Amino acid sequence: MSGGGGSSTTKSTVPKFLETGYQQGIGMGRDLSAMPYTPFYGPDVASMSPLEQASFQGTDVMASAFGMPTSGGQQYLPAPTQFEGGAMGYSSAPIFEQAVSELETRRPAQADYYNSFFIDPMTGEMGSRTIEKQPVALEMQGGGRRGK
Amino acid sequence: MAGGANPQMAQPAMNPYTAAAGAQGAAMGRVGQGLTQTAAGGMGAYQNPYETQVVQQSLRDVGTQAQMGLNQLDAQAQQARAFGGSRHGIATGEALKGYNQQMADTAARMRQQGFQTALGASQADLNRQLGAAGQLAGMGQQSFGYGQAIQQQQMQQGQQQRQMMQDLINAGKQQYAGYTGAPQQGLATFLGAMSGVPNLQGQQQGYNAGFLDYLMAAGQFA
Repeated sequence: MSGGGGSSTTKSTVPKFLETGYQQGIGMGRDLSAMPYTPFYGPDVASMSPLEQASFQGTDVMASAFGMPTSGGQQYLPAPTQFEGGAMGYSSAPIFEQAVSELETRRPAQADYYNSFFIDPMTGEMGSRTIEKQPVALEMQGGGRRGK
Repeated sequence: MAGGANPQMAQPAMNPYTAAAGAQGAAMGRVGQGLTQTAAGGMGAYQNPYETQVVQQSLRDVGTQAQMGLNQLDAQAQQARAFGGSRHGIATGEALKGYNQQMADTAARMRQQGFQTALGASQADLNRQLGAAGQLAGMGQQSFGYGQAIQQQQMQQGQQQRQMMQDLINAGKQQYAGYTGAPQQGLATFLGAMSGVPNLQGQQQGYNAGFLDYLMAAGQFA
């Protein structure tokens, strides 16, 4: 059936269920890429136990009895937080938030640029540079659609 | 003192290092002094101040006994009608010689005894003082050990607390690293979703017939 002036065609095909899966996966990847970092607000470090505290006090008493310098009862560690379930410890969330706040203060443009990649964690508003809003200069070859 | 607290106990103690240094210095000083010290220096304190009197009294006692002995010798010589004779003179001379020897021996023995007593006491003092110096040095070492033990415990507990603080800071830094890496992570998530797309595809081939194909087909049926 060749040589009669006809033309051969070859088309790449994807099964429907796969195409559906790909589109869903890409869509989910697109959405997830706009998800900002999710801080952990729970405890990161367990606090000293009462027995350890007692040991510290005992060391102070002992040192004082021998005329040696002591901590003077000063607390080096901050007061621990009691979390749900009774866990006593410290969360790194305040340190993290302070670092982010410091970044916003010292390098506001960079912080804005950073935030534009994600949704606003307070309002959910999509940032201006999420993948969803990235410019597409070339149309898809083969008739692909632009965007969703 | 009954019922009352010892005021010394309420006072903050000298720190163990100062105590150790003091004890060490005192012990070294005393031991160093002992290198050249002899018991002679301390003997004076143990000499019996009444030694001379005691010796004199003893000599007087011996003299009294000698006199009594000579009197008895004289009496015996008179009874024998030999008083004043040569034999009496010889006997008296021998008796006096014996008494003189006894007095000399008594005095020498007593003074030797006094010397030995003072020497022994002085040597005992030196030994006791040097022993105390050694004990003081040991206590100084013990005091130094107390200080080190306390210091070591403080250091250990301090490091434990600092490590906790460091762990907390590290956790904060880890969160911040996650924060700053979030854009790359988001991009990687998206590209990961994209990367699987072209791998599972099939091919469908076809042929669109031309004019000549139709003519040829018609010729075959003619």
